[in-house]
Formats: sequence, structure tokens, C-alpha cells
Amino acid sequence: MPSTNTLLKHKKFSDTPIPWLLPLFIILAFMFVYPTMQVIIYGFTNAKITSPNYSFTLRTYKSILSNPSTYYTLWITIIFVFFSVLFQTLLGLAIALAVDKGESLLFKRGSIFVRISSLLSWAIPGVIVGVVWGFIYSETGTGILINLFKSLNIENIKFLTDPKNALVSVIVANIWRGSAQSMILSYAGLKTVGKAQIEASNIDGANAWQRLSKIILPDIFPVISTNIILNTIMTFNTFDMVWSLTGGGPGRATEVLAMTSYKAIFNNYSISKGSTYATLLLLINSIMAVIYFNILRKREED
Amino acid sequence: MKKSNQKGAKIGIIISFVLITMFFLGPLLWVLSLSFKTVDELFYVPPKLFPETFSFENYRQALWQADIITYLFNSIRIVVGTIIGIAIVTIPAGYGFSRIKFKGSKVIQFLVLIFQMISPLIISIPLYRYFSKLNLLNNWTTLTLIYIAIALPFATWTLKGYFDTIPISIDEAGTIDGCSRWKVLTEILMPLIIPGFVSVIVIVFVTSWSQFIVPFIMISDSRMFPISVGLVNLQSSSDTISTQLLAAACVIGIIPTIIVFIILQRYIVSALTAGAVKG
Repeated sequence: MPSTNTLLKHKKFSDTPIPWLLPLFIILAFMFVYPTMQVIIYGFTNAKITSPNYSFTLRTYKSILSNPSTYYTLWITIIFVFFSVLFQTLLGLAIALAVDKGESLLFKRGSIFVRISSLLSWAIPGVIVGVVWGFIYSETGTGILINLFKSLNIENIKFLTDPKNALVSVIVANIWRGSAQSMILSYAGLKTVGKAQIEASNIDGANAWQRLSKIILPDIFPVISTNIILNTIMTFNTFDMVWSLTGGGPGRATEVLAMTSYKAIFNNYSISKGSTYATLLLLINSIMAVIYFNILRKREED
Repeated sequence: MKKSNQKGAKIGIIISFVLITMFFLGPLLWVLSLSFKTVDELFYVPPKLFPETFSFENYRQALWQADIITYLFNSIRIVVGTIIGIAIVTIPAGYGFSRIKFKGSKVIQFLVLIFQMISPLIISIPLYRYFSKLNLLNNWTTLTLIYIAIALPFATWTLKGYFDTIPISIDEAGTIDGCSRWKVLTEILMPLIIPGFVSVIVIVFVTSWSQFIVPFIMISDSRMFPISVGLVNLQSSSDTISTQLLAAACVIGIIPTIIVFIILQRYIVSALTAGAVKG
């Protein structure tokens, strides 16, 4: 680019990246790089919250890796993430298609209203999502959902006190919370689908399903796939919503990995144990990040 | 034939719109209804969909007796501090990544984005220990700094993307007129970047307002709780008789988000899609 050359002719300090990026680097170094490395190191120690000193040991890893409860938590977390992301993506896509169709067929206002109402659920704080769904799932005679089921002659469902139901309930609440983000991205993707292609397919007599599977989905697949990965990472990190909805219970039926880590540290005072769980979380997210960057790079090469 | 087909599609769309809106707004409307109910009304079986009276008594109690007003102002304080910090750090950084070519720029940008994927819980563990040694728990400055750090990766990336959309010839025109880089940034580029910056701010507002785990770990002084921690605190101390208060507190916690949302809705869509569609 010749234009940058003229700018670089006499190089001053302000022409180097340093003054512009220094504050960013300092904050990231202190608040991300240092703590992340420290968490990994803590996993190889016996650090306790109650004592300032610690020594290095492999015992913490041995104990959590041989403990079946670790695998139970992992299993719960994976079920939670898988079904949350699956249904958020599907529901998000369905809403985006409806909104997009609604805009061209009906009234623009209605479509915007639908878009805003689903986005609201995404924007309100996670702990409030948990409290709100706690009201919905209330198992006393005054709960709204339990009475709804009663009117369908299904009595006494234990939404939150039965372990299996509790996990489903948490996942439904999380789908409610996260679908809007998938919707917005799918919606933006739909806007880039070639109108000419769709018109051509209309003339060829393609039905709605053929249009969706042959033209629209392949076109927005890149947007959807990156969204799935980012969403998976975010969902693995979930803490707030589950905390206020079930606290991980009943028992440990809805205890996700981040919560296990928190509880090890702040309920059992074991920084080392909590850090091993946190490192596990870090490892999972690193794998997802590598996949994400590979997709991005591939797309840039195309 | 074609006409009836269109009519069917229209009815289908309307039905799906109603279902979608019910699914997403239903839970919020239920909380709104609870927040106006009296204790007696709470225990009606089956529950009434709408409260009998619209009294703001629950709100008054939640705000002043349950101290939600304090939590609300604490949250505002932290979020405003975070937004100012984000502006100070990301405007130069976004400019630097967009306008200054240097070796490794791309790699560093990706490294910055990786931090976006690290759970705030992970960084809070060592920071808790570190700050407790320095006696800096329950401290506005350190808390806000952590909030800023968490919002930085997304904000830097998005802002850099907005800088990229401004043609470099605009910078060059300024340079020819004798402007320094700083002047080009503050006087020429800044006005152009404002819509992009507002989008970033909206997202930073939403995520910081929702932030829970960081203050949950770093703050133990209840006078300093932000709304998220305050609510969980209220939840753990409340029982079925105070459901209506907790509901009112939830509504109060949601209101700022709704206000920001309705005013700046289009910026949210633009910020959320900025990375995804271009990428």
C-alpha cells in the first residue's frame, strides 16, 4: 500500500504501535495473562484459601482425576451445553426466518417487536433470569407452570426438586436466555442471502423446504458455525443463571463445571482443587478457540 | 392459487409471532404481575394472571427496606466507570490496530480475542488471593479494573472493525493539512466512529450490568453490592411470603436494561453482527 509508506517516511514514536496499545497490554497482562497462568500453577499445588503458603504437589490432580464426581460434573456440563446450544441455534434460526419472512410479507413494526422481545431475554442479567424462572417453576400451588400443567391434567411435576427434571428446567431457561443471540446472527446472515438466487428458485418452482436446505442454509452456514462455537464457549462458562435458579441442586444434579470450581474454593477453601476444575474449563475452551480460529483462517484464505 | 398461498403464509407468520412473543415475554410479564401482588394474592389457588390492584408498595419496600436503591447506584457507578475506562483504552487501541501496520499485528489481535473466551471465574481466583493480600477486596477501583479487562477484548475488536470501515484517505487528508496522528484521531476520526462506539458501549453496558461472579467473589461488604449480587443476597434471605418483593427487585434490575434497549436497539443489532458477518 503506497499510502502507508508516505505516513512512515519519518518515523516518530507515535508511528509505532507502542503508545496506542500500551494501556491495553498492561491491563490484559495483569488481569488476564498473569491470573490465567497462576490458575494453572495453583492446580499443581496444595494452596488453601486459609493459608498464605503452599507447596507443589501432583496430589490435587490425582485426587480429582480419580474422583467419579469430577466425571459426573463434566457429564452434567456437557449435557447442559449440548442441548442449550442445539436448541438456541435451531430456535434462533426459526425466529430469524419468521422475522425475515414477516418483514417482506407483513408489517415491519411487528417484526421489530418480535426481535426486541426475544433480545430482551438475552440482555437481562443472568441472575435475574434464574430468579424469574424460579418463579415460573415454583412447585407450590401458586406456581404458574404447575397450574398450567394441571389444567392439562398433568399433576405434580417436580420441575426443580427431581434431579432429571431440574437439568431439563435449567436447560429450558438457558435456551430462553440465549436464543436471541443466535437469532440476531442468523437474521444478519439471512440479509446477505442473494435475492436473485431466491427469485430464480421461485421461478424454477422450488418449495419452501428446498429453498431453505439448498440455498439459504448453505449461504448462512459460515455465520451459524462460528456462532455455534462462540456460543458453546460462553455456555461452558455459565455460572450466574444456574446459581440463582438451582444453586447446582438438587444434590449436584445441575452443578456445572464453573460452579464446581467455585464451590471447591469458597465452600471447601481449596484453591488448588478449584483451580484444577478451572484449568479443565480453560482446556475445553482452548480447544473450542483453536477450532474457531481455524474456521476463521480458512474463511480468510477462501 | 397464489393469493390463498400468501394468505396461509401470513397466518402462519402471525401465529409464530404470537408464540415467539409469548415464550420470550411471558416469564417477564409473570414477574411484573407478581411484583404488584399482595401477600394474600400470592396464595390464590389457582394463581390469578393479573394483580387486583396496581400498588407500588412492593417497589417502595424493595427499594428502601431491601436496599435495592443502594445496589442500583452501586451498579451504575461501576458500569459508568467501566465505560469510561473502555473509552480511554479501546479508542487508541482500535486506532492502533487499524491504522498502524506492524509485524505480528494480526497474531496479537487474535491473542486479544482469545481472552474473550476465558471465564471471569478463572481470572477471579488468583485476583481474589492477590487483592486480599493487598487489602484491595471491597474496593471500587480494583473491581472496575476487572470489569474493564473483561470488556476489553470484545470492545477493542469491534472498535477496530469500525475504524477499518473508514477509508485511510481521510487520515491522509488530515496528515497533509499538518495534523498529528493524535489530532487525526480526535478531530477527524472520532466523530465518524461515534455510531460504532455507541454500539460497543451498549454491549459493555449490558454485560457489565449483568456481571455476577466477579463482584460475588470480590465484594463481601453488602453496602458495595451491585444489583446482581444484591438480588442473590435478597433471594437467599427471602421466603415465599416475600416473593412479591423479590419480583419487584427483579423488575427494578431489568428496567435500566429495557431503557437502554428501547433507545439504542439498532446499535445492539449492529454490534452483535459486526464481527460475525464480516468475519
